Amino acid sequence: MTDTLSMPRPKNAAPWVNLGGRVRLASWVASIAPSAIFVAAWLGLQLDFMAALLTIFLPIQLAFGAWAGFYSYGRKGVNDGLLVVVTIFFSTFVLVLLGSVLWSVISEGAAALSPHFIYQNNRYITGTTGLELGGAGHAILGSIIITGITTLITVPLGVATAVYLTETRDGARGIVRTLLQALAGLPSVVAGLFIYSMLIVSGWSSQVGLMASLALIPLMLPTISRVAEESLRLVPTELRNGALALGAPSYKAFFMVTLPAAKTGIVTAILLGVARIIGETAPLILTAVIANETNVNPTAGGMATLPTYIYNFLYLGDATSLQRAWGAALVLLIFVGILFVGARIASATRVGTKPKRRKK
Amino acid sequence: MSNDVAPKRLKLVSKPSRTADKVFFAVAKAAGYSSFVLVAAILFFLMLRAWPAFESQGVVNFIFGAGWNSTSDPQVFHMGPMLYGSLLIAAIGVALAVPMAISISYFIAFMATERLAKVATVIVDLLAAIPSVVIGLWGLGVFSPVAAEWGRMLSEALGFIPIFSNAVDIFLRSPFIASLVIAVMIVPIIASITREIFSQMDQEIIKGAMALGGTRESIFRKVILPTASGGIVGGVLLALGRAMGETVAIFFVLNLTFDEFNWFKILEPSGGAVASLVLARFNEALQTELSALLAAGVVLFVVTLIVNTIASYIVDKAQPWRKL
Amino acid sequence: MSNLNHLETKDINVWFGERHVLRDVSLQFQNNHVTALIGPSGCGKSTFIRTLNRMHELIPSAGLSGQVLLNGQDIYAEAVDPVNVRIEIGMVFQKPNPFPTMTIQENILSGLKLSGRKIDNAEELVHTSLTRASMWNEVKDRLTEPALSLSGGQQQRLCIARSLAMNPNVLLMDEPCSALDPGSTRRIEETILELKENMTIVIVTHNMQQAQRVADSTAFFLAENGNPGEVVEFDTTENVFIRPKDERTNEYVNGRFG
Repeated sequence: MTDTLSMPRPKNAAPWVNLGGRVRLASWVASIAPSAIFVAAWLGLQLDFMAALLTIFLPIQLAFGAWAGFYSYGRKGVNDGLLVVVTIFFSTFVLVLLGSVLWSVISEGAAALSPHFIYQNNRYITGTTGLELGGAGHAILGSIIITGITTLITVPLGVATAVYLTETRDGARGIVRTLLQALAGLPSVVAGLFIYSMLIVSGWSSQVGLMASLALIPLMLPTISRVAEESLRLVPTELRNGALALGAPSYKAFFMVTLPAAKTGIVTAILLGVARIIGETAPLILTAVIANETNVNPTAGGMATLPTYIYNFLYLGDATSLQRAWGAALVLLIFVGILFVGARIASATRVGTKPKRRKK
Repeated sequence: MSNDVAPKRLKLVSKPSRTADKVFFAVAKAAGYSSFVLVAAILFFLMLRAWPAFESQGVVNFIFGAGWNSTSDPQVFHMGPMLYGSLLIAAIGVALAVPMAISISYFIAFMATERLAKVATVIVDLLAAIPSVVIGLWGLGVFSPVAAEWGRMLSEALGFIPIFSNAVDIFLRSPFIASLVIAVMIVPIIASITREIFSQMDQEIIKGAMALGGTRESIFRKVILPTASGGIVGGVLLALGRAMGETVAIFFVLNLTFDEFNWFKILEPSGGAVASLVLARFNEALQTELSALLAAGVVLFVVTLIVNTIASYIVDKAQPWRKL
Repeated sequence: MSNLNHLETKDINVWFGERHVLRDVSLQFQNNHVTALIGPSGCGKSTFIRTLNRMHELIPSAGLSGQVLLNGQDIYAEAVDPVNVRIEIGMVFQKPNPFPTMTIQENILSGLKLSGRKIDNAEELVHTSLTRASMWNEVKDRLTEPALSLSGGQQQRLCIARSLAMNPNVLLMDEPCSALDPGSTRRIEETILELKENMTIVIVTHNMQQAQRVADSTAFFLAENGNPGEVVEFDTTENVFIRPKDERTNEYVNGRFG
């Protein structure tokens, strides 16, 4: 028995989408007129862009928006019109500023980027050396090494903490959560000061890569344990109970059932944690000397990372140095972007997530 | 059955019986308790090295006084202007960021089409991950001259208002610029949280408001905002905490003046920020000054702790189902 | 039969995307009259009722053809503001949805505030609305308490009172009792019988006994074999349940499917 009564959807099946003549007219006028007036005033009167934007465009656009609302829907439409104008104005402003950040990094960074930038270090670079020599290879390596050490220490610690929070019934869990909250708000410079005061002042160690790795631990731990805890929580208890009911000891239930089910969530946690610390600057400045040469030994000698590389050349401030900084910024942004995209892909394939909002 | 004592409640505790399980739970517990160790260590070692500075400068003077001079005799280390500067810049930055963040969140959650909303969400979340040093680079290299120009125009147009007056006619490296950079940095953070709150709002409430004849604006103002306000405030305070601890984003666009408080002349090139103080003085600092820097770090940590605690409390009350 | 509050649909067809879900629904809803819409799950009753106050178009990919006439005027006409339609036609939802940040009193007045209408005598309006919803005595001493402090049944009656404060001529109710206990259900049914004196009421229900208790007329919706839903039978309640003309109606009301 097949569907014999269905009609195909006619073209005009959404009459509300056809805005009435009034509304259409109002929308057009209110969208174009203020911009036209603005451009005329800006160019004609030779005004500064921002000043004209705020003093001419915005008030006029607001007025037009209010009028459009009133013309279309009467008195109650006025506020709606204003809301739309304000929302779009602010959103655009934000997007332009943030877009400027991205755009600057990409365009300026691309200029500095070249194959040798990726693998060369700055051993023989002076302030006046051109861009053809030198690169951020040592910084990339340093980033990988320092971040890697931190990750190797913090991931097991963070996941174990998450296990503690979800699998045990310990009374101190609430306090631990609060402490992790507190750590999440730790200013990064204080993390650097902490390691400095604990290990370096006393002479136990000098400013080396390893110290930087340690300083990053309190910054990475809250992120990993929070996201890991969330993903462990999302594993349905029926799964775990099923394993226990079959006679599995707790640790086996965890490793063979819960953990695999939360696998993508844990991966997300790791990626987000790494993204968090790979861009940290202040703690590294305090705990590791920024080197110009490639150094793979985290226990001796200074080590540079991408953020500190950027900081270094930002400090020097001359044109070529700034270009090097942009180049490194682009590399860093690419790293962060990859981590982030990876985290999103991982979380999208999560098993047993909260059901999406149902549209009724 | 009469006058029996109520049956003794057996407390059922499941104790791990196998060794492997015992090890499992012990390791987990150790990891959990490591947070105690970590926070305790941070407080302990910082205080240990910072104490001499508190002692020699006097706690109140250190925190609220002005002047930072390592060459004078006796040395003076007072972080007042720096602390105030951190708070001022963070406050202005947040004040600027909040309307923008709420706007963009409203746009994504209630105005954009589904596809546009998804794309915008990804962009906003991605922007929240931009390292602050990159923002600092952009701040110095691209934004600073533009913002200085805005400052100049503000002072020309509205200079009669004290907050916008500028006696030195230099507009670079001012708290105004620093605030703007901070705002740019935290808008994605607040927007992420706000957008999440908006999209998780009970659709039934909004439908009910529409069925009663609510308009877009009236529903936003009277239903959406009040319901989301708790979470938004919490998110704002979290961003405030982050802004106060921020270091490299504003390091290059702010001129630090240690000797006097710049209370409100935000367009002048004179300001303070605790984290920038540490960064600026760290390399040259000898023992006593180092101690003072550590002390400044302690104060900063405590202040951000307070702000974050208030924030978590508010967020918790507003969204009891989010156990974070 | 007076023409006042006459709500009528002519050949309503509904699509979601390309999928045709409701076909040629033509019904009349009269004043002083309760009409029940019954039928198995998924046959389009809730979808249909949402076309009556222009809530249907809020769903992306929603499509519609046909007319909905309120006192002879098509509410889908080009110049009509949907917000105005919803001011005239009230709706009560399946899940009680009082505004959580408002008190009982504020909830009652919320419709007027949201639609931007002036409130002449707030106290009197609150009193009247709560009385019409049969809950004045229960809450008269706690009007300033949060709406969420009420029980589920009370919250639903609060939502009814809230809709009544707008003084609509038509009240739509989408399975208003399905989330409630039998006691609350009875109270709401009594309220409906009192309200119909001055209003047109359309109620979607999957509870056939409820339809028999409150409704003057009943429309039986059915969607067979993947076909779009349609009204199989529309008649007085008595006829539909005791002397159904269609065999499928007979089967449904006697519990043989759905």
